[in-house]
Amino acid sequence: MVATAKTYATQVSQPVQSTGAQKVQETPAVKQQNKESAKQSLLAADRFVKEGNFEQAKIEVEKAQKLDSSNPYIQAFLDRIAYFETLQKKNAPPPVAASEPPKAVAPAAPAKPPVTAPPTPHPQPAPPRPVVQPPPGPAVPTPPAAATPPKPAAPQQKFTPPPPPPHPGAAPAAPDTSVNSRLEEMRAQIELLTKALHQEKLAREEIKDRQLQSAVSQFRAALEKAWVNGAPREEDSQQLHQLALSLALPEEVEVSVQREVKIDMYSRAVKEVVAKRKLLKSSSSTLEWLRKVYQISVAEYLENESKFLLDLVADQYKGTLLLISEDATGRDPLSSKLKMSGYATIIAATPEVALEKIEKINPNVILCEAKFKQSVLSGVKFLHVLRANSKLNATPFILFCDPSEIQDLQSSELRPNEGYVKKPVDFDELSAVMNEKLVRFREYISKLI
Amino acid sequence: MSKVILLVEDDEDNRDLVSFVMQRSRLDVDLVIAENGQEAVDKALASPPHLILMDMQMPVMDGWHAVPILKADDRTKHIPIIAFTAQAKPEDKARSREMGCVEHYTKPMDPEELLALIQKYLNQ
Repeated sequence: MVATAKTYATQVSQPVQSTGAQKVQETPAVKQQNKESAKQSLLAADRFVKEGNFEQAKIEVEKAQKLDSSNPYIQAFLDRIAYFETLQKKNAPPPVAASEPPKAVAPAAPAKPPVTAPPTPHPQPAPPRPVVQPPPGPAVPTPPAAATPPKPAAPQQKFTPPPPPPHPGAAPAAPDTSVNSRLEEMRAQIELLTKALHQEKLAREEIKDRQLQSAVSQFRAALEKAWVNGAPREEDSQQLHQLALSLALPEEVEVSVQREVKIDMYSRAVKEVVAKRKLLKSSSSTLEWLRKVYQISVAEYLENESKFLLDLVADQYKGTLLLISEDATGRDPLSSKLKMSGYATIIAATPEVALEKIEKINPNVILCEAKFKQSVLSGVKFLHVLRANSKLNATPFILFCDPSEIQDLQSSELRPNEGYVKKPVDFDELSAVMNEKLVRFREYISKLI
Repeated sequence: MSKVILLVEDDEDNRDLVSFVMQRSRLDVDLVIAENGQEAVDKALASPPHLILMDMQMPVMDGWHAVPILKADDRTKHIPIIAFTAQAKPEDKARSREMGCVEHYTKPMDPEELLALIQKYLNQ
């Protein structure tokens, strides 16, 4: 700021000289026209400054200077351009770091914000003033504002943004020209300060985020280890809390991560135990026991119930299914989908192979192609064989038929446990038919016992 | 000092499930596995555990043969043995009791029930 003050002082002390060579006889009309043109040039310069095109802005200011050297804003414009140019150079990333993100230039440690040292524009030598004959009439003095440079903004000082500067081409006779000039300067400083503060804030936030992320992942790893078999013992909990403190984790983050891990670990345990539910007396009492082991409150359970249930449904065993098809390209993807739905799926290429396996696997559902190229038995004939078997004649049986075969099939009096799905098989349609047949089968079995 | 439980079980899923439950039990125990009666006898005689959880139907040597051997040996006769089996008939229960089993726990298991039983005999 001192340099700026010197600059202004120098400018003020410079007397305006005139040379005969530059004397121009100007009529009032021409003068007025020149003033107007100078205003336009300054307006253009203002636009260029805002766009960051300082070279073009300078050209416009020089143009204005030539046209109307008495315009009090010319020097202010020149200073403003010099100021922003310096600022731009300061903020420009070094060439080696050009590929790095802009935040990389921020300070590495979240030190105190550099609010005590707002960048000072380097004083630029004032461009030589064009020496013109002072216009007749009331002379417009050089803005005295230049002689009293604004003081640097104090770090904690809150600035009220100054009112926008007057129109560059406004009447030069305005009494508060010096104030406006000063305000313009202050505004520029505030802008610079705000920008620096913002950059500092971003840098600090990024560093904080990175540190927090790293701390959270470290804490999570420790928690997962501690919670893998249920709630940790008191001393382990204390150690975990100490770890959170040493990692400078905010309390709410510590609580939140712990809760996430706890629920995640419970969910994993539920999955693991549900996979062995055939060995358990009661799935619900086992889940209740696990809830206690992982200290999952009823509220937490209810809040996450859908997640737990979805996990259960995804892993649920629905029964054993026999899929008879010789077409591997259609059969294998269907088999995968059925397995994903919870069926233990056994494949047989032909009805003959199926007959060999069927007694052993005792399927809950049989899916069968209607036609086979490599088999004497068709799907319908195979169905008739099963109808003759008292152990299997109530098992849900679904045929995959071409649309042309459906008419014949419908007239062949399918029993309640039997159904068909047209080819190509739509999985949702197949699931719906299977569910319907399984419900009937369950009712049938319930009546038997 | 951790207490040692000898789990004698031929079915891998059952072994995994018991391990799963024991890991989450907060009991300070070490689980030693034997896959049949013969292995159980060998391990128990070599290093007597605090409690034996014995499946009764196994290949090589079943529990019905292993329990009398363990009860006949001075090194192991004091060890409480819980029959851990799917055989739930009253005569099976009576038989296991006669052999010296302290309990006849019928599969499928309930984690809390099994843990309560284990705790009861470990604390004795």
